Amino acid sequence: MDAEVRRLEEELQADLQKANTAEDIEALRVKYLGRKAVINQLFAKVPSLSGEEKGKWGKNLNLLKNKITSAIEEKIKGLGSAEDKIDLSFPAKKFDKGSTHIVSVVSQEICSVFEKLGFTVVEGTEIENEWHNFSALNIPLDHPSRDAFDTFYLDIPQKNAQNGKFLLRSHTSPSQARVMNIIKPPLAVVSPGRVYRPDQVDASHSFMFHQVEGFAISEDINFAQLKGVLLNFVRLFFAPDTDLRFRPHFFPFTEPSAEVDISCFICKGKKEKCSLCKGKGWIEILGCGMIHPKVLKNCNIDPKKYRGFAFGMGVERPAMLKYGINDIRLFYENDVKFLEQF
Amino acid sequence: MRFSLNFLKEFLKVDIKTDKLVSLLTMAGLEVEHFEAVGSDWVFDVEITSNRYDWLSILGIAREAAASLGKEIEVKYPKVTKTPLLKTRTIKIESLKDCPTYVARVIRGIKVSPSDTTLKERVVNCNINAINNVVDITNYCMLKWGNPLHAFDEDKIEGDIYIRRARQGEKFIGIDEKERELCPENLVIADDKKVIALAGVMGAKNTEVTESTKHILLEAAIFSPIVVRHSRRAAGLDTDSSYRFERQVFAGYLEYASSEAANLILEKCKGAFYGYAFSGKAILIKDKNLTLKLKELNEYLGIEVPKSKVKGILSSLGFKVKESGKGALSISIPAFRLDVNELVDIYEEISRIYGYDKIEPQIPQIARPLAKNEIYDFKNKIRNYLVQLGLKEIITYSMESDEALKALGYDNVIKIVNPLRKQENALRPTLLLGMIEAITYNLNRMRQGMRFFELANVYGRDKDGFCESPALSIGVAEEEGGFFYVKGALLELLKNSNITEFSFEEKSLVSFTNALELFINNKYAGFIGKLDNETADKFNLKKDLFFAQLDVNILQSESKFKVYSPISQYPAIWRDISIALHKNKKFSDVLKVINEKKEFISDYQIVDTYKGKDLPEDFAAFSLRIFYQSAERTLLSEEVDKIHNDIRKRLEQTEGIKLR
Ligand SMILES: [Zn+2]
Repeated sequence: MDAEVRRLEEELQADLQKANTAEDIEALRVKYLGRKAVINQLFAKVPSLSGEEKGKWGKNLNLLKNKITSAIEEKIKGLGSAEDKIDLSFPAKKFDKGSTHIVSVVSQEICSVFEKLGFTVVEGTEIENEWHNFSALNIPLDHPSRDAFDTFYLDIPQKNAQNGKFLLRSHTSPSQARVMNIIKPPLAVVSPGRVYRPDQVDASHSFMFHQVEGFAISEDINFAQLKGVLLNFVRLFFAPDTDLRFRPHFFPFTEPSAEVDISCFICKGKKEKCSLCKGKGWIEILGCGMIHPKVLKNCNIDPKKYRGFAFGMGVERPAMLKYGINDIRLFYENDVKFLEQF
Repeated sequence: MRFSLNFLKEFLKVDIKTDKLVSLLTMAGLEVEHFEAVGSDWVFDVEITSNRYDWLSILGIAREAAASLGKEIEVKYPKVTKTPLLKTRTIKIESLKDCPTYVARVIRGIKVSPSDTTLKERVVNCNINAINNVVDITNYCMLKWGNPLHAFDEDKIEGDIYIRRARQGEKFIGIDEKERELCPENLVIADDKKVIALAGVMGAKNTEVTESTKHILLEAAIFSPIVVRHSRRAAGLDTDSSYRFERQVFAGYLEYASSEAANLILEKCKGAFYGYAFSGKAILIKDKNLTLKLKELNEYLGIEVPKSKVKGILSSLGFKVKESGKGALSISIPAFRLDVNELVDIYEEISRIYGYDKIEPQIPQIARPLAKNEIYDFKNKIRNYLVQLGLKEIITYSMESDEALKALGYDNVIKIVNPLRKQENALRPTLLLGMIEAITYNLNRMRQGMRFFELANVYGRDKDGFCESPALSIGVAEEEGGFFYVKGALLELLKNSNITEFSFEEKSLVSFTNALELFINNKYAGFIGKLDNETADKFNLKKDLFFAQLDVNILQSESKFKVYSPISQYPAIWRDISIALHKNKKFSDVLKVINEKKEFISDYQIVDTYKGKDLPEDFAAFSLRIFYQSAERTLLSEEVDKIHNDIRKRLEQTEGIKLR
């Protein structure tokens, strides 16, 4: 008996070592605990033993059986149960999810940064007239400064001479004139939307694109605050360590005016062979300035009492910069493979 | 514009490294886009903003560089000769509005030949071709002073000189050898017989200075910027000369530019000064005066610029500055700064030279938040909700072709007067075409998951001339039960906006089959439909498109705040009915019968539909599961049976409905 039990125990240890799969363990279970198991044969011998031996072996065999059972259970736990065992390398489920267009995402993102600072979103209209799109903004109708604003004209009959012809707005700045005529300062507004210019379509031009205009007017707005507001924006929108640079520029509707560059977030201003900033270390992202007193006056706001700042930026360009999109046409093709990435 | 360092050095000693100069100029607003070494010189491509006509001259750029370097420029003004007067020809200006001033200098007996190396280098490094010494000298002086000049072969001018509008159809062959037909929009220089120049734009071939030219007439003039702009546009030209005239040229340098050119021609091409002619208004140069208060400047900019700094910056830019009481400066704006008129212009001059980078960012206190823009927030809400439902947002062009719109039954659309392409020559009154294009684009690429929506404005004419309002479109293709997918999306949207008073009405719509119109509180709010095959074929759409368009303004104005509705704590009990429905009856008829009494009915759903041989002809069958539930107690099986049997009875009694 003794030898048989010892052999059984040794064999079990060896088999346990070798068992690596659920099938192996099942075989083990049949071999050691099944109907034809050696231990059952040993149990069968117990009745024929003498009194003292009978009690001893009965107890020992029971202990052994428990030991075998728990050793096998232990092994099963180690491997995971047979039920759970599936091919985990199978492809994952594909979700057919909804998606917000990246232009909307970015436009909302831009607006919400300014909303947190107390700006209110006001949308203008896309059909505009010459007064709001140009003249009110101090852009003479017949001057080279208008060349930057080629415009689609519409066949809507003109109503009065001051407002001029109807057109599709070529920038979101007319919102300034619209808002200032209705709401008295202090005010702070961001105005997002579609704008249109007759540009031939290529990788970086589109005859329709999106802009966000922002402006604030009060008795004590200043140029330094414009810088603060925009610095706050670029850090929230691009990266917390983004730097910003104001570069003097000319816009008819602001004075002083600046173009705003951000430090390149790819090369971090290290410049060398950077494909994004072309080695300049800076990327131009928007235009801004203090609202020209003539614009305030055109919108019935007293420039002696009030000052304001304004800024305007595209939506597609920062989206392209931030997400590494290399062709503006992708935004309007609406390829599912593009849409579902955002 | 391109300029070169050696040319700049004619006005200013530059003793800093080129890249340092580039960054100084850029940060002062004269953006250097590109620079490179050419021989012993450096050339710079700069972007000149449309207000700074003065930067279209080396003198202007030198003045800017000097201010940035904290230096002063040195200008050597040429000797101006105005005698003898020219007696052989008269200059006749038709309108002083078109041409306020015209100056001519005639030099005779010259020898035209190629320029010397230095002169060639000056013009070539500024991106102008070297032609011959006379032409190069006129270009050199234009570059230097900013005033375009033109030299005519005097022998070829017949009679007097006229500055007049072109006659309709008058011919002009420029030095570019192209023939153009002129119109009265063009201002020309002419003699008794012919046009000899397109004023301020380009000289004519017929009086061009060549190697055989002996006598020249040197023109310097002021032309109206708007007239030159229209003229060069009408002629389809854009030249170094017109570029400057369009942005205004400074009359104060007219005689300097002309005289320096004359002096150089006398020096380099020999010959003798023959005569001077002047026509038009006398040139009056007046400085403008303004008083600047330091406190106001600093409040405007949000910085503290010391008074000494303000004075230094302005003087280096050519402004005259005098103390004018406490904290005030009396400033005289130099006449050549046509772009500086107001205090804010001076604020900009000070701040850009002081350095925008020295302005420390501040955050404003926005005093009063305005009323919310409800439609903007509502559109965002719809957008987010539809995305949650699994739809993808698309953005398509606001313009379509008027022909395509006509094919959909839209006749009186707003058209674009100057379209870029024929396929986008009208403003769309519907979002349907954009949807079709997006679906087609994806079908062509074998994409899946075309469940799209777009939020965009639609445009039309009304009694006020035009209207523009936000719309929502939903479109699905390749979706099983597509119609009910779109209908479901609409219902979810209505539920999300807590709109309860609405109805659908069957309607036959142009281009659609199986269409429903949606009314909210009896107001038309939009429609759903399947695009009919004929229209689909017309637009090459190979799959069924289920489409809805809604008026976002109506949705927004009818939407209500959500209120929590309590959830019953008691179990729902359901019972099924198998119904066969005659084709003349609709599911809504069944619903009407069931809803005659609304006792405890909490929900219903179709659990099965079938068509089979065992059905009577013209009948379709389905199983309807009705849920019964109370908010106050557990319903007893017997009472549910009673209600349910009552429904069965009512249904059985209805014609066209059979229970199975
Ligand atoms: Zn970089």
